[in-house]
Amino acid sequence: MKTKSAQIQVTFNWIYIMIAGAMILLFFIGIIVKEKAASEERLSAEVVEIMESIFTGASLSEKTKNFIDTSGLVDYTLYFDCDAGVSEFGLQGYSYYASDSVNPLFAPLELSTSRLVLWSLPYRLPFKVIDFLFVTSANTKYFLVGNDPNFINEFNDATDTDNPLLKLNWEQLFDLNDIDPGGNFQVRIVDLDGTTVDVGKPLPEKLLTMGDKKVTAISFGKLGANTVDFYQKSGQVWKKLNPNPIRILSIDQERDAAKYGAIFAGSLEGYQCNMMKAFKKLDKLVAVYGGEKMSENIGGKLEDIVEFYESNPETSLTTECLNYLTTYDENVYTSLRSMQNQIKTCLVFQGEQGKCFDLITHADTLRKTNQILSETGDCISLY
Amino acid sequence: MNENKKRKLEKYQRRQRKLRRKAQIRMSETIAIIFIFFVLILFGVVFYYKYSQISNREKQEELLANRAMDAALQSLFLPELICTKGEAEHEDNCFDIMKLNQAEDVFSKNLNYYFNLFSYAKITVTEVYPGNLTWTVYDKQKVRKVENGTERIWENKENTYYVVALRNDSKIEGQRKYNFGYLEIEVYS
Repeated sequence: MKTKSAQIQVTFNWIYIMIAGAMILLFFIGIIVKEKAASEERLSAEVVEIMESIFTGASLSEKTKNFIDTSGLVDYTLYFDCDAGVSEFGLQGYSYYASDSVNPLFAPLELSTSRLVLWSLPYRLPFKVIDFLFVTSANTKYFLVGNDPNFINEFNDATDTDNPLLKLNWEQLFDLNDIDPGGNFQVRIVDLDGTTVDVGKPLPEKLLTMGDKKVTAISFGKLGANTVDFYQKSGQVWKKLNPNPIRILSIDQERDAAKYGAIFAGSLEGYQCNMMKAFKKLDKLVAVYGGEKMSENIGGKLEDIVEFYESNPETSLTTECLNYLTTYDENVYTSLRSMQNQIKTCLVFQGEQGKCFDLITHADTLRKTNQILSETGDCISLY
Repeated sequence: MNENKKRKLEKYQRRQRKLRRKAQIRMSETIAIIFIFFVLILFGVVFYYKYSQISNREKQEELLANRAMDAALQSLFLPELICTKGEAEHEDNCFDIMKLNQAEDVFSKNLNYYFNLFSYAKITVTEVYPGNLTWTVYDKQKVRKVENGTERIWENKENTYYVVALRNDSKIEGQRKYNFGYLEIEVYS
């Protein structure tokens, strides 16, 4: 009787031990799984934070190119998005992301690469407004098609570098059917004269195997039109993403940051959202240069300059300088005031086409007047 | 017979006492082991808590230092402050005094916009030579409302300094155009 009871007890003891052991094991497995997920989240947050710092530095170094070795992140996908004036980027599938509502960042929607290439260009209207940061990757290929030798030369000069790690992945094509996407992650076709890419036009055969989101195009329209249209692959044809051409708002003849922004922006929304950031900044800059309410009175730096001339009438060229600042038909004050009115309208209408267009005219007048001021003896120029 | 029974009973009782003492010792041993086990766990928890507290503090300090560096860089290249030369590239480490005079006003009226750039920070430019003017370009500190107004509630502060030239265009020919000063950035967390 005693032996039987002992046998049962031993069996039960083992069952208890097994259950307790399994529970302890499960508890530790649970901790390990949770810790793994938490450490991956931490890692993604650290990656994003480091990138944010690099992007800040890269965007401030005017006209420079940088690269980031992301070979450790080759299995991850970086995403970029811009909505309602706030851009975001982070690692896909993780909750941490960096956001920025001030600095414009033009990048494809997704990047999965071992090397990121960063390039910064200043946006001027006509004074420097902000630096545009372009982010792309070694495996994002840009195909330039169309007959605009000047731009192709400029693009070549602008992107040319001795360092192979900083080289942009691009190629000039004379016929779109010659395109070979190779093993690239995504391709962007840049139609320079608006003759190659159009709604319903068939895609080259070699692009048909790629996903719709991986094949995008922009068309700058007829030469001199200064507009851009965004396209995306839709099955076997091109789909236009904007109903009306988007006006490129800039006055730079070379290295036009707004034009390059369109080339590097992943989407139409991304382009417009980042341009809005530049306009918001322009609004603040106009206030620094000419005061908050120029329709009522002169303020800002312009007021200081005018006051200086008025209090120093003996200064040579005072009258002439003052005329260019406030009196002549085309003067600094009028141009700056018109710019302020236009930018306020543009911001109210969220960059709607047609509401911002006149900015270019006023900015161009201001540029000319400012140039005259700097070339006229010792006149103080506005910028 | 009774004697025999009595002896047997005593023997049994002795054995029982011995067994009970043995069980008591074992029980005490078990309690001691459990106690030591929990003490060790407690040590582990306290150690981990202290470690994570220190590592969090270090991380916060690192983030604050990074933020200070970013804010300093952003300030040095702010188009609202820098010395420009028409279409050419701007002058490095140089602020335009005429712009500084306006920036104070523009920044304070657009505090929310610049908060996205600098967060909780204070940016001042101080002239060292020839004058001693100070411009507080941006000032946003962590505060809490109290009965008599507000109270600062930041815990850490990181200061960064940069030497800058201050260009004064409103000088007649022959007068010195460049002054000397420094940029001070305080970031709070």
